[in-house]
Amino acid sequence: MKRTSVKIVVAGGFGTGKTTLVGSVSEIAPLTTEELLTEAGVGVDDVTGVESKTTTTVALDFGRITISPDVVLYLFGTPGQDRFWFMWDELAQGAIGAIVLVDTRRLDSSFPAVDYFERRGIPFVAAVNRFFGECPYTEEEIRGALELGADVPLVWLDARDRASSKLALVSLVRHAMARLPVARAH
Amino acid sequence: MIEDWDGDDESEAGRFLPLYILVNGRTTPRNSSLDLATQVIALAADATRLEPEYLQILNRCGNWISIAEIGAYLHIPLTIVKVMVDVLLEQGYLDSGSPAQQRVVDPALLGAVLAGLERL
Repeated sequence: MKRTSVKIVVAGGFGTGKTTLVGSVSEIAPLTTEELLTEAGVGVDDVTGVESKTTTTVALDFGRITISPDVVLYLFGTPGQDRFWFMWDELAQGAIGAIVLVDTRRLDSSFPAVDYFERRGIPFVAAVNRFFGECPYTEEEIRGALELGADVPLVWLDARDRASSKLALVSLVRHAMARLPVARAH
Repeated sequence: MIEDWDGDDESEAGRFLPLYILVNGRTTPRNSSLDLATQVIALAADATRLEPEYLQILNRCGNWISIAEIGAYLHIPLTIVKVMVDVLLEQGYLDSGSPAQQRVVDPALLGAVLAGLERL
């Protein structure tokens, strides 16, 4: 088999525990890589009125799990700021799917991620991070708030715990497999 | 005096060229299947003519390594790593594995990933 890379995206609002999850299952300490982007902006003190451009650095945290001698799984956390959607496109392209972390203190902060993967037909599971203590909501309430489809798995996890994070990943891969088009015999 | 110049000060002084000059102004890789998770490995080739910045990348590729990892270890932005890796692939210094680019629809690959995760 040729050397093969597979990706899983770990998404969710700012501070939902993405890097914690990556770190709990990765075989290497999470690495940070940077992407530069140029943003057009209007300089307020620019007397000529010419648009100025500023360069912004977007940091991405990621980890690695060697699956077999030929297959390596990379786990990429999405950038904390929702506005860097172009980075999401690069991360999501070719990914097995995504884990959307849910912070029960701020359910709505994970909605943009749910919406993103839903619209693109990318398999995802919602993972409620219990790190934040007792969950005041029922599964139905969370499903309702995030407008989760009936087929989207919802799991409870502690992102700091390796076994717990592993179960969320397993749940995602099973979900992605269940969504594969059934091969037709002709 | 110009006569005393041996023409070799570049290699001694090191380089402080902007990276966009190193990549000849190229802004996107020609090989558009390059992904941040694509893994590469060094091939046996004479690298003595390579610029130090390219050599630095090549030296990281003794074992399979992803573009994202190269960027993280060498503190080079992803877009630039991609273009530089593309140049090295084109010139036969590197080989690349399968990119994680197409939607994964291979049940055997997903099955292997599932089994690998369950072994964790």
